[in-house]
Amino acid sequence: MPDNEFNEEDVLTRASQGDRDAFGLLYERYIDRIFNYVYYRTGNLHDAEDLTARVFQRAMNHIQNYTDRGVPFSAWLYRIAHNLVANWHRDRSRRQEVPINDVPVLPSKGDHPERNLVRSQEQDALLRFIRRLPAERQNLLILKFVENMSNAEIGGIMGRSEGAVKSLYHRTLLALRDQLGDQNISLDNE
Amino acid sequence: MFRRTILSEDQMLALEAHLAGTLRPVTPPLEVVQRLRERIHFPQPEEIVSRFRDWQRMFVVLGSVMSGMLVIITLARALYYLVGRK
Repeated sequence: MPDNEFNEEDVLTRASQGDRDAFGLLYERYIDRIFNYVYYRTGNLHDAEDLTARVFQRAMNHIQNYTDRGVPFSAWLYRIAHNLVANWHRDRSRRQEVPINDVPVLPSKGDHPERNLVRSQEQDALLRFIRRLPAERQNLLILKFVENMSNAEIGGIMGRSEGAVKSLYHRTLLALRDQLGDQNISLDNE
Repeated sequence: MFRRTILSEDQMLALEAHLAGTLRPVTPPLEVVQRLRERIHFPQPEEIVSRFRDWQRMFVVLGSVMSGMLVIITLARALYYLVGRK
């Protein structure tokens, strides 16, 4: 069945009754989005794969607990992903592992793969700064730019109002501008 | 050091352009998607429990068959002993 043809409500009902094929449809619909989120939050492919699998395993085991109370299924999945990534960061800091700053380059959607295997110095620097931001600001930027979500949708996932998201976004941009300025990285070359 | 807390529209547009160029949606490698799909289809704990129950049931059936055979053999031996004595 093509991705856009199924009724998500019906599929969710079937999945919550233990229908694995129905859950498979949800998996196919959301795998890329969850992988993108985890990939940018962890900065490495191996952990992105492992955590993405755990997100869907947890979702499959607890889908009976998901009830549609105005929160879309995607928001529920992102919250699971957010919690698992937070645990992952906590475990890493306990083990005092060296933070990963270099996010490996993967081909972007809709572009020729060979074109995307190189990132500019500015992009690398910006990615490093993003990864040093507090978790909620990283979430905000990933949801806004990678997932192309509106402030209202982001608010639904983060449990904040649209205005609070807008304000957080503004503060995040200010922080990035200052950090780039400190490193003498110009923003004028776009 | 004094920091300006106002973001001009030009700065905002430039920053957003940089962010859009950096935070691009990526395509997970096919082998990753395949491995994930295989991992997701691992049996759930309930399935493992039900398989364990099946195994227990099979053990009970096997035990019953063995006990039954033992009873039949004992009866046959007793019969043979009684008939043999006559």
